[in-house]
Amino acid sequence: MIHSDYKEMIPAHALSALDRADEHALKEHLRDCEECQRELADWEATAASLALSADPLEPSEQVRERIFTRIKSEKSPSKVLAFPSPQRKRWLSIAAVVLFAALIVSIIVIYQQNRTRSVELSGTPEATSATAKLTYDNTGRALLVTNGLPRAPAGKEYQLWFIVGGKPLPGKTFNPDNTGRGTSTDQVPDAARNAAVFAVTLEPAGGVSAPTGAIYLRGEL
Amino acid sequence: MRPEPAQNNDVELLKSIAAADEAAEAALAQLYDRYRAILFGLLMRILNNREEAEDVLQELFLQVWRRAADFDENRGRPFTWLVTMARSRGIDRLRALASRERVAVAGARDEAEAVSDAASDAFRSEQRGLVTTALAQLPDEQKRPLMLAYFDGLTQSEIAARLGAPLGTVKTRMRTGLMKLRELLAGKNYL
Repeated sequence: MIHSDYKEMIPAHALSALDRADEHALKEHLRDCEECQRELADWEATAASLALSADPLEPSEQVRERIFTRIKSEKSPSKVLAFPSPQRKRWLSIAAVVLFAALIVSIIVIYQQNRTRSVELSGTPEATSATAKLTYDNTGRALLVTNGLPRAPAGKEYQLWFIVGGKPLPGKTFNPDNTGRGTSTDQVPDAARNAAVFAVTLEPAGGVSAPTGAIYLRGEL
Repeated sequence: MRPEPAQNNDVELLKSIAAADEAAEAALAQLYDRYRAILFGLLMRILNNREEAEDVLQELFLQVWRRAADFDENRGRPFTWLVTMARSRGIDRLRALASRERVAVAGARDEAEAVSDAASDAFRSEQRGLVTTALAQLPDEQKRPLMLAYFDGLTQSEIAARLGAPLGTVKTRMRTGLMKLRELLAGKNYL
């Protein structure tokens, strides 16, 4: 396929209506094509206008209460979870293979500088054949590589946790690719760098502030 | 007349949430009040089930709280960001429910209190008017694929099967329909 073929597919992609093979091909193309990325943003705005054709409706007051009860129980979630945004986007835009290669290289480099720790995580009965390795440097910047996790169902993502003194601190969410390999960059909280248990659970997409799902991977320092 | 003030304000609200500053919670409340009726209406249209739609709405705003830093103002408006996430979560939930065979039977639509346009603000009811008018100008054969994709989460093949039309025809009509919608809205300075 050539650029113009992909460009033709973008409006349908903005409606998430492409069939799987087309969607897969377009996503590959979008990674490297800034013009198509801009085009997609434009079509997404048009698609979003369709929402206004639904009649506005009033949710019950309890929804608001539930939201604000939940966020009050979280301490500055954005700060805990934030990873510099442009950096994450750059990571996201790099093909998985390149990312994996870069990961290996950085692990080796960091090892050579002798400033890292590395933790092996092993699969729980939820995913007995799953394995993972979490490596982080002395600033807490971490790289998680997982293998053998089942694909997350729709609306779910895996989430990394740093458990310090029995209290889980939320890490980021990620999704393994078709081969079951997942990679995620994260930031290990100060408190978790010297004595912690690390775990991966299956959670609602976007992540949660306290674990709700089953543990798939677990390891400790 | 381009309705920018409200949009700029939305960007500031998201920045406040992303920074987790002292105004973050109030900012989330403002965003919720501004968009809850549109987003809940959208989720009800997708899910036809009040309990599920409210649950997704709650998840959505928790996601906004945790992930406001993901919003990139160079990529689009806060409205588009919110609506795109809401719709995507709604469709995901619809599929999860369908696979559990718990999806609401068509026609057994849950009742929810309608919001009069007076209750939402004038700016958004004007925008709704623009979209409704634009959609009314699309031929039905172009509008239906758009609606089936957007609110029912169907893919092009599924739409072709549903409408008994060739896949190539559905693809063309969908693209033409969305292009026409974009032109009509751009002509009204909506986009």
